[in-house]
Amino acid sequence: MAAEQTKSGSTPQRRTLTVKPTLLGDKVFFGITSFTAYFSIALVGLVLVFLLIRAWPALQHEGINFLIGSTWDDSVQPMVMQIFPMLWGSILLALLGVLLAVPMAIALAYLIEFLAPKPIARVATLLVDLLAALPSVVIGLWGLFVFTPVAEGWSELLHKTLGWLPFFANETGNFSRSPFIAGWIVAVMIVPIITSVTREIFSQMDRDLINAAKALGGGMASTLTRVILPTASGGIVGGTLLGLGRALGETVAIFFVLNLSFDINWFDVSEARGGSIASMILSKLGEATDYEISGLMAAGVVLFVSTLIINFIAGYIVNRAQPWRK
Amino acid sequence: MAQVTQALPRPKQAPWQRRNLKNIVLITLASVLPSLLAIAITVAFSIDGAIGLVAVFLPIQILATVAVGQYLYKKRGRQDAVLMIFTIFFSTLVVVLLTSVLVSVFQRGAAMMRLSFISQNATYISSTTSLDYGGLGHAMLGSLAIVGFTTLVTVPLGVGVAIYLTESRSGSRGIVRSLIQSMSGLPSVVSGMFIYSALIVTGVSHQIGLTGSLALIPLMLPTVARVCEEALRLVPGDLRSAALGLGAPSYRMFLQVVLPAARTGIITAVLLGVARVIGETAPLLLTVNAAANTNLNIFDGPIETLPTFLFRNLSYGTDNSIQRAWGAALVVLFLVLIIFTLARTVGGDKKVAKPKKRK
Repeated sequence: MAAEQTKSGSTPQRRTLTVKPTLLGDKVFFGITSFTAYFSIALVGLVLVFLLIRAWPALQHEGINFLIGSTWDDSVQPMVMQIFPMLWGSILLALLGVLLAVPMAIALAYLIEFLAPKPIARVATLLVDLLAALPSVVIGLWGLFVFTPVAEGWSELLHKTLGWLPFFANETGNFSRSPFIAGWIVAVMIVPIITSVTREIFSQMDRDLINAAKALGGGMASTLTRVILPTASGGIVGGTLLGLGRALGETVAIFFVLNLSFDINWFDVSEARGGSIASMILSKLGEATDYEISGLMAAGVVLFVSTLIINFIAGYIVNRAQPWRK
Repeated sequence: MAQVTQALPRPKQAPWQRRNLKNIVLITLASVLPSLLAIAITVAFSIDGAIGLVAVFLPIQILATVAVGQYLYKKRGRQDAVLMIFTIFFSTLVVVLLTSVLVSVFQRGAAMMRLSFISQNATYISSTTSLDYGGLGHAMLGSLAIVGFTTLVTVPLGVGVAIYLTESRSGSRGIVRSLIQSMSGLPSVVSGMFIYSALIVTGVSHQIGLTGSLALIPLMLPTVARVCEEALRLVPGDLRSAALGLGAPSYRMFLQVVLPAARTGIITAVLLGVARVIGETAPLLLTVNAAANTNLNIFDGPIETLPTFLFRNLSYGTDNSIQRAWGAALVVLFLVLIIFTLARTVGGDKKVAKPKKRK
């Protein structure tokens, strides 16, 4: 038929190509998968909706003071709930954690990808993956009984030698349960994620570029600072942001090693006054009144929205830095 | 007249690989001498070991390496020396921290390992009861039940999302992928609060195992979906085209060609997902009531899990309960290790295909 038609000069009717499934089986198949995908997305929305509904009374009553005020008083009616010290505490811990974790992660990724012989690199990769799988509560246990005594010593030493710097000053003489220690714990928790993103970027780098730098007479150090780091900067920034998101959400490990206080601690990292939204929620939710629950839910909304935004940006940056993933 | 060019003999080593005796001796000296010197100084002035390591050994080591680098390769050697020390110092730091966690858990947990601790539950056990009685058998079974139910729900969901991302040609794949990715950073306590506010405060349900299971779903889902997507993506496109070209509809192409090819990858995804949630504590603390007796019914009654058992014993703060917490930590760690090893052996050493070389 078709051949006859072409012979007689008339062209066959143009068909529109479509990617829509036509068979019943395909329709069911793609219907189910789309449903699961949209359901998972809806889950994110549902979390926000339910938290917001529950948080509304407190948010409405406190207004913007919820974020920028710093009193938490349950002796008055209705109680005053303002979380700035916890918010700042979370940010401080995340910054400390990132500050400590980024050099460790870059060094480890560089060692694994460019320096170490194959067997050592493989063992190191395994160790990092294992570190990522360690539950937060185990890290908390270790942090409380093994790390804190050691870190107290270092903290005291820093106070004695560098006490003239405002960061390490400590007039209380108590060095445990401080943001300094919690910052290290956060660093231990986020090193794996930053390392694995950085390592992935390093491993997919164009080797010709590195060889060219070496052929031009560059040493290891200049190759790293002039070629490798600038090329991989997108991935490293993305990985760091992912780490930052994890650090903000870290709950149980911090709960054991940090003393929560509603007295704002701007940067005295070695004093036993700190804050963390997630840990505060955990410590207060058990015996909270209805109205207090509302305030804690509002704190949860703050935590959720900030980590969601950070993770979204991080995901965007990491994806752009890994074009081969598409 | 033909001109004959004699090829030079190819050197055995490339010029930049050449190492002469002087270099080797100097570099070895620079790596060994500082540590000896530092040990000598630390012992002579009786400085504390850890402080000696940072305040004595590190400066001497940096000075020595930089000096040798400067002597051998001038500026380049100097920079490389600093880089070397930086890399090795920070990498060692990570390894030391991790080893410290593992060793302390194994050491203190091993003291707790006895048959009764694994097999008994904690009925009639207080925080001061002798360590020879009571255990975490109920917590292990509870974890199994709760995580088991989570897995049952999450795996079909996660695999479905992965299929949607790899097999369908829908336009909203990008946004779905980004949202799933940012979901992986969802703080675990927020996931617990979600179920707490949606089901428990509203009075729909008590704090039972089921609520705990539901609270773990948003945490497990992104891991399963992402690893599964990677696994499906590794199946060559030619296989799909061949199946479709032979006239198979998409769903049969997936079930009979792609799924068998990606089977190990999907098992890995499930295992990694389980490893992700087995140690989650915060959501379970908010959504599940503590129990001292064995309960396998997630639809009714309080139920205990391993991480919450650990958490509560740690909170009691007596010597015996802390010892129990270390024991529980060892059990959790052991489980994570087993799952992790399984995932490694099943998944093998899979790697994302290298990008094509730039033209």
